[in-house]
Amino acid sequence: MTQLVELRDAYKKFQAAGVKLYAISYDRPDELAEFAAHHDINFPLLSDKGSRLIRQLGILNTHVTRDQVPFYGIPYPGTYVLNEQGVITGKLFGRNHHARFTGESMLDSALGEILIGEDEPMASTDDEQVNITAVWHGGGGTVKASVVREIVVRFELAEGLHIYDEPVPQGMVATRVEVTGPEGFHTGDMRKPATHTLELPELDTALQVWSNQVDLAIPVWVDDSVVSLLGEQAEVDLEIALKIHYQACDDQVCHIPQSRDLTLRVPFASYTAPNLFKRVAGLDISAMDSQQLMKRKIRRGLLRSPIGGLRFLRKMASDMKKGPMGKRRGSS
Amino acid sequence: MQDNEFNEYTDEFGQTAPLPASHGQRKPPPVDFQFGPAEGERFPDCTLRDADGVRINLHEDRGSAKAAVLFFRSAVW
Repeated sequence: MTQLVELRDAYKKFQAAGVKLYAISYDRPDELAEFAAHHDINFPLLSDKGSRLIRQLGILNTHVTRDQVPFYGIPYPGTYVLNEQGVITGKLFGRNHHARFTGESMLDSALGEILIGEDEPMASTDDEQVNITAVWHGGGGTVKASVVREIVVRFELAEGLHIYDEPVPQGMVATRVEVTGPEGFHTGDMRKPATHTLELPELDTALQVWSNQVDLAIPVWVDDSVVSLLGEQAEVDLEIALKIHYQACDDQVCHIPQSRDLTLRVPFASYTAPNLFKRVAGLDISAMDSQQLMKRKIRRGLLRSPIGGLRFLRKMASDMKKGPMGKRRGSS
Repeated sequence: MQDNEFNEYTDEFGQTAPLPASHGQRKPPPVDFQFGPAEGERFPDCTLRDADGVRINLHEDRGSAKAAVLFFRSAVW
């Protein structure tokens, strides 16, 4: 839900770039219509009734059994990026279903380059020879639980200079970025552009180098221990420290290895949740009546699996009461 | 969500939800999961209804434009 609401805001970037966007789920058209109306969704939501396409592709979540009546038929969430011929050129899927990708990541994958937005928090070293800009990319420059962002470290190298990818011989420094944030802040594996090979016959070695503009992208996300900083202190920004190590050389001279510090300050934004959740800091509860829609999903599911479905529902009701959004927390 | 009492509601990614992390819809895919067709394959032909109930053929509607085709869990929950 929160990802789709974010995509609404990113969709104008898709339109400007001439890239289409479709979002598909097992929901029925009337359920999608109700969601679209409540959240002003301006791109096509498509209904994969009976999860036929989801099964055909092989992305059905098989942990969810037929007895789990309102949930049965969901996919592992993710995105295929298609080229002009309809061929898949990118797959944005991950093990962590909270770490969903932003519209900006999808668009970057479609275009084959990272489009930095003017609204995105950034910090720069302002060096002439090797300028480094760190950008908090995606999601309108905010942080929120459940959608992954990227920190993009962009090197702009003066003509003739290059920097190194790993591995490098002893005594040289490969380009490396250390990212530090508060507890509950997480980073994924860095995405690097292709290198070119620099042959050094006199040293009998070859090095992997980048020149001109180099974008290193690090997926980043937060868990609930960070989001719980919200509430009384909703004005607090997330502060991320970057330490960037590199060594720049040209064909003649290798400069001394450098380290640069940059800090990004990113505002929190609230997470859009259905009205099945308790109202807590950092959650923006949708005006859509999900409780009513869930009852209909359950009724339909019970026709498919009456006995196992009822057993599941009883267990679910008991788990919800015991849980962090249930009565025990509220009454304590 | 620091309460130890609610540990079973916080998953391996540090996210808390109204149902325990053992529920199927919260479980991550198997480690070696392939997530459908590989890069380089054509996305299958498909016709689905949109929110207005209109049947949309994805490749026809796309024409010769690039596209992002997102699969999400649900607009309801």
